[in-house]
Amino acid sequence: MDDPFGLAAGWVQETLLIPLLYQLGLMRWEDIAFGWALFAVYGACQVVITFAVCLPLERWRPVERWDDNGAVWVDALYTVISRVGVLPLVTFVLFYRAQVAVNGMLADQGWVPPTLERLFPVLLGQQTLTFILYAIILDFADYWRHWLAHQFRWWWALHSLHHAQRQMTFWSDDRNHILDDLIAFIWFGVIALLIGVPPLQFPLLVLVLRFLESLSHANVRLSFGAWGDRLLISPRFHRAHHGIRAAGDRSCNYGAVLPWWDMAFGTADFTRDYTPTGDPSGEEALATGTYWRQQWAGLRRFGRALLPPALNR
Amino acid sequence: MRQALILFLMLLLAPVTARAGGAAFIINSAGASISVVDMTTQQEVKRIPVLREPHHLVLSPDGKSLLVGDTAGNEMLFLDPATGAIQKRLTVADPYQLGFSPNGRFLTVAGLARNQIDVYDAASMKLLKRFPVVSTPSHIAYAPDSGAAYITLQDSDRLIGIDLKTLGVLWNQPVGKTPAGVLWLNGKLLVADMGTDYVAQVDPADGKVVAKIPTGKGAHNLFLSPDRKILWVNNRAGGTTVSLDAATLKPLRSYAIPGGPDDIDFAPDGRLWITRRWAEKVAVLDPATGSYQTVAVGRSPHGLFLNPKAPAPVP
Repeated sequence: MDDPFGLAAGWVQETLLIPLLYQLGLMRWEDIAFGWALFAVYGACQVVITFAVCLPLERWRPVERWDDNGAVWVDALYTVISRVGVLPLVTFVLFYRAQVAVNGMLADQGWVPPTLERLFPVLLGQQTLTFILYAIILDFADYWRHWLAHQFRWWWALHSLHHAQRQMTFWSDDRNHILDDLIAFIWFGVIALLIGVPPLQFPLLVLVLRFLESLSHANVRLSFGAWGDRLLISPRFHRAHHGIRAAGDRSCNYGAVLPWWDMAFGTADFTRDYTPTGDPSGEEALATGTYWRQQWAGLRRFGRALLPPALNR
Repeated sequence: MRQALILFLMLLLAPVTARAGGAAFIINSAGASISVVDMTTQQEVKRIPVLREPHHLVLSPDGKSLLVGDTAGNEMLFLDPATGAIQKRLTVADPYQLGFSPNGRFLTVAGLARNQIDVYDAASMKLLKRFPVVSTPSHIAYAPDSGAAYITLQDSDRLIGIDLKTLGVLWNQPVGKTPAGVLWLNGKLLVADMGTDYVAQVDPADGKVVAKIPTGKGAHNLFLSPDRKILWVNNRAGGTTVSLDAATLKPLRSYAIPGGPDDIDFAPDGRLWITRRWAEKVAVLDPATGSYQTVAVGRSPHGLFLNPKAPAPVP
């Protein structure tokens, strides 16, 4: 059976990228270009699928209705940049190269980095099962990254851009400060390096997880029920994390896809019900500014957080 | 009893029938797998999973093993060339391109991502010497007397010559924008330059370019036909496979093979099997008619090996 993602990436490669690279004298990048094309195709499909699923849901049972939803369009811009442009480039060029270099160096010393398939050879060829296991491990790692982002003052200064949105929708998942995104990529990349996530499987893994994350941000009255909410993170569960009174280190429900880690480590709260979102401690530009104004405001807040308290008045 | 006998005979004959047409091994570099294709039906009959990212493969000098390099998996797989059964696995850093010397004594492994060329003793698989290089060593050729190996450094503009007697560097010379495939032919080295539209002819004595033979945009890889009469060149950007007279290097014919033509192997029936990197297909080209059939395989098919194949050229 043909692989539509691979064939679409092949079309992008042959029709757009190779002629461009050849003209510019950059044919040495042709392999990397195909990798990027694959990531970008996955990203574009994910944006379309997210839009097709989440928009009807938001129209069906919105938590809030706004007369002016200008702030939402900035979030849409974040999504496109993150999932079709920056994410693929950073992930493929940096992550892949780093993984090959580090693993090769370790192999020279006679040590092969652990991979699930080496630890459990029965998984070799079992792509779906392996995929699910990798997803669970990465989700666990992401729980701790997110929890830490709420604990350190400097990290919260960056992460608060994500929480500043008062008009939270499925587009809001990607509204992050670029430095916060960079930390997340490095975090995710290092974890993936340690457990041997295959580089060309990595984008699909990230994108499936992030579809579910987008859904959890949706402006929709949707719960998966008492049992379902404990199996998979619902919009109701994640909205509590974005609630006004949950900003900063008083927050709850840090999980991205699975609520299991919140339940295991005592940070789950299933009682809060569709609260208003936002971060009252942040300046207005973080909530309603343009893309660049939000980034600049986040950077200034980050700078202030790094100063000693005596200088920070 | 009769039914049991028939069943026994069927089981006995089944593997023979399956192998009668031969097996093509196609490496799916972005699919972490190797497709085994029945050469008669041109259908994939099996997919062998590997760890991460295999690219190239080579038959051992004794013909008993097919060595597959898994770059990101840092692993060398040894397969049975008839059945594809895994014989053993070796930990090897970044085995991208592999090549045995004509006398079978050396195995050269180019580590494209790690910028290294490793020369092994083929019999013991003991690493004799590592050559750190700048940068991305990709394709390998040998002198017919096995005295030297020549490796293109794809992301630089260079070709490096290695003396296999002293294990020292003979020379390291600029030969073109993005040198990829390399081949020894009639006392000269031919280097496909992916950054331009020609194959450079290089003097193996000093690594200097002595001629440029236009073939098509993004000349990537080159192969000599089993009868040593035709040189085949795949042009990556142009999407063509071209034939040249191996003696005169004059162009004969150009074939449109879209989808990033890369490696070639020669079937006993005279047809060429060509991997198409971005199309997830192999083209089976009849050079007489110019038409080709398509074999669906995995993502980013790269190296390939036909068993049986037309007899290999004798240097």
